[in-house]
Amino acid sequence: MSSVEKQAGDWLGARLTRKEDLRLVTGQGRYLADLVLPGMLHALFVRSEYAHARIKSIDASEALALPGVVAVYTGADIKDSVKPMPQSVVLPNLPARYPTFWPLATDKVKFHGEPVALIVARDKYVAEDAAELVYVDYEELPVILDPERALAADSPLVHEEDGSNEIFAMTLTGGETPEGQAENAAEVEKIFQAADVVVSERFRVHRTGITPMEPRGVLCDWNDADGLTAWITTQRPHIDRLALIDILDIPGEQVRVIAPRDQGGGFGVKAPFYRENIMIAYAARALKRPVRWVESRYESLMNVGQERDQINDLEIAASKDGKLLAVRNHGLADNGVGTTGVYWGFVMPFLGAVELPNAYTWERGDVRLRVATTNKASLTPSRAFGHFPTRFALERAIDMVAHRIGMEPAELRRRNLVPSLPYTSVTNEYYDSGDFLRVWDNLLERADLPAFRAEQAAARKQGRHLGIGFACGVELSGVASELLVPMENQPGYGAATVRLDPRGKVMVFGGDAPGGQGHETTTAQVVASLFGIDPKDVVVTTGDTGTTPFGAGSIGARAGSYFVSAVANACQELQDKITRILAHDLQIEASRQHFEFKDGEVVYLGDSSKRKTFRDIVERIIMHPINMPEGEVGGLEWTAFFEAAKPMICFNADCCIVEVDVDSGNFEIRRWVTSEDVGTLINPNIVDGQMHGAIVQGLSNAMFEEFVYDEQGQQLSADFEHYKLATAADVPDIEITYAPTPCPHTPLGTRGIGEGRPSSVPGALTNAVCDALAPFGVELTELPLRPDRVWRALQAARGERR
Amino acid sequence: MKTISVTVNGSVFEEDVPERLLLVDFLRDRLALTGTHVGCTHEGVCGACTVHLDGEAVKSCMMLAVQADGHAVTTVEGLARDDRLSALQEAFARHHGLQCGYCTPGILMNMTDFLTGNPDPSEDEIRHGLIGNLCRCTGYVHIVRAVKDAARVLRENTGGAR
Repeated sequence: MSSVEKQAGDWLGARLTRKEDLRLVTGQGRYLADLVLPGMLHALFVRSEYAHARIKSIDASEALALPGVVAVYTGADIKDSVKPMPQSVVLPNLPARYPTFWPLATDKVKFHGEPVALIVARDKYVAEDAAELVYVDYEELPVILDPERALAADSPLVHEEDGSNEIFAMTLTGGETPEGQAENAAEVEKIFQAADVVVSERFRVHRTGITPMEPRGVLCDWNDADGLTAWITTQRPHIDRLALIDILDIPGEQVRVIAPRDQGGGFGVKAPFYRENIMIAYAARALKRPVRWVESRYESLMNVGQERDQINDLEIAASKDGKLLAVRNHGLADNGVGTTGVYWGFVMPFLGAVELPNAYTWERGDVRLRVATTNKASLTPSRAFGHFPTRFALERAIDMVAHRIGMEPAELRRRNLVPSLPYTSVTNEYYDSGDFLRVWDNLLERADLPAFRAEQAAARKQGRHLGIGFACGVELSGVASELLVPMENQPGYGAATVRLDPRGKVMVFGGDAPGGQGHETTTAQVVASLFGIDPKDVVVTTGDTGTTPFGAGSIGARAGSYFVSAVANACQELQDKITRILAHDLQIEASRQHFEFKDGEVVYLGDSSKRKTFRDIVERIIMHPINMPEGEVGGLEWTAFFEAAKPMICFNADCCIVEVDVDSGNFEIRRWVTSEDVGTLINPNIVDGQMHGAIVQGLSNAMFEEFVYDEQGQQLSADFEHYKLATAADVPDIEITYAPTPCPHTPLGTRGIGEGRPSSVPGALTNAVCDALAPFGVELTELPLRPDRVWRALQAARGERR
Repeated sequence: MKTISVTVNGSVFEEDVPERLLLVDFLRDRLALTGTHVGCTHEGVCGACTVHLDGEAVKSCMMLAVQADGHAVTTVEGLARDDRLSALQEAFARHHGLQCGYCTPGILMNMTDFLTGNPDPSEDEIRHGLIGNLCRCTGYVHIVRAVKDAARVLRENTGGAR
């Protein structure tokens, strides 16, 4: 792997104001719903009112007759001209029962909110009117809502052709064979039999996720010469392009997908390939008119952003002196319907099971997962992909072990943290580098545990209940092909094109598609640092498959890990070429290491009078490629790729301090402090912001947000009055601190950060509440964590003591 | 259809609009002022569509365009004067008070109004002032700092003029 020397006058680590902000604070951002094409039509989906019903008939004649309505499509209309899903490009290499489906429901509807018909009209208000005039005759079917009951042999089936509601099951420990897994399970059982302490609990995390402020949207334009141009709110335009090519059978050269430069958040929700994309492209092609669909919040909350929703039966075996010995977890996830490309619902709980062991040195583990299909929306990815529930369970259970053996939970964690890396977990996850103990000790120093315990003891004497909670998290820093090919059938490498301009400016092209993470700024800082120029002279283009190299998408913290590393590699190639030609021009024997790129100049270190401005040498190479060194041609543009040999990680730890009112169950977060290893920092402002956002998302998921279905499978929480997000008044200020170890496997020492970051939040929070209630012996095992749950647990504990 | 006359960011617009046209759609679709965003289904919870009606913050998805007849509307596009950002806009950039930027215009409009009535707000007052705006990216930490710092700048400027 190449390494890039750090330059003096470095922009790396600078708290630079973002390049994105001028347009965004003045209302000049261009989001999907802001894009308009001449003759554009408006699309609106008619969605199922039932969770499970057979479609007997659809009468759209009145809707079609409404002036301004251009077309109405139903499943029957498109079934013969659109290939069904799954298609290989959006199919993981994991053994599962993949349901077959079309973008519109065909024979039956399988969740409340499933698309049944598409209306295309000249005006969006008219489209709304027309939706009222589409009459669907349904025959209701028994609904399947409980994942445990869904797996019973006599359960009705969501997807009848599958023969079972078990979409996916896996044992993640003991190797690939049933014999090896059974042998491993027996070894784990032996440890449990002999252990001093066993904690065994059922942990539940409700259905919640990360809902971006901008809902989804698609704008498609078709002409017979160029084919399809599709603007999609997406984190992975290159995958969407391939999926549209395959499903609609359009030649590949005729499909271009563009993720708008400005996207109102993604957080995983915009990572899947969605059925709505297919219909909008289909309609644009059929009508030869631009067609735009902008999702309503109501549709969004019914269809996407639903994740977590796992039951984990978790057991820990430990010694009485505080050694964690073995972990056993039987997970069960409620997949929902599973009709979502790339993820199918179960890919998240799969990774959640992989990441269960976290940062601790287990001797052995027995980790299994079952995933059940139900008549709910598919689980869709949400930041802390799959492991929000498993990490809650594990971090909570570790505190319960500490309580049982009478040890400080922070000390128990410290004794069992992986002491040195690399390390391979019991679920075979590779942790490449970092220093967990350094991160941990930094947190404890900031938190000042002894001072808190003294304050807590004093408060208890006054009848006040303070508590402290800790948790930590190993997170993926990008996703290596080694994991992404089996998990999502796509490569993990980063790719970037760096193009120099004769005026000394730099253009960077990347195929990922950010949604607010500040790629334009961090990338510009990396480029400016390497070329010794100003970040304002760097322009970054993302998300357009017509101009960018293939990118697996803005997923899994790939920017700070894979993308900027590809950018750095490309810059290094260009530095090499520039210095070869400059040495030739200066008539000196010198190569890259003899030059410095600084303050807009390229300077020969052997004699600083031998120098040239960056602009002049760049212009010379691009515009005046004569008198060149032998074998050298003009031009300065390079596409580079980056792939780490092994998966990479980042690491973080949280400390939360709460005060609980034991009469009401109300609790208040008094302090939140963190310790982070994000490797080399590119822009601390941006990293701080990523951490703040992730932690508040974790708190909001843990305390407020909850998707609720009634007993008929009706989605009751499809607006923001019923699906409550944390407001500014609901959450605390947050102290972010750093204990970084540069990643040895990236050219700049950077790590990708942010994706998994919410995962340690619910554990730290709930541990703090339980610590406050230690005099009552309360151990909470379910989310959401709200005053009513705390109050009930207190009542139960007091009852037991009576 | 009804003919309305609305002053938007200082310019007068006379337009024929359907009675049911929402103010937010009038601004976005008729006047191409797409800085005003829609983040919830017209329920007034997310605050991304917040604009000023005669100087007061209102949610433009909760109003019809015809209700704005004869009134003055300011959108985020009207905050900067003579190409100079307002103190609040500058503070949001300086403190990294935005990530995706989708909620930002509504927050800027709400907080501009808020600071008029609260020139020296506490953190708690700012947090409660923000209840009508949802942000998913920032965790609000930098937003609160930006608002507090903008208040300081405005106080230091003569008479709090923006």
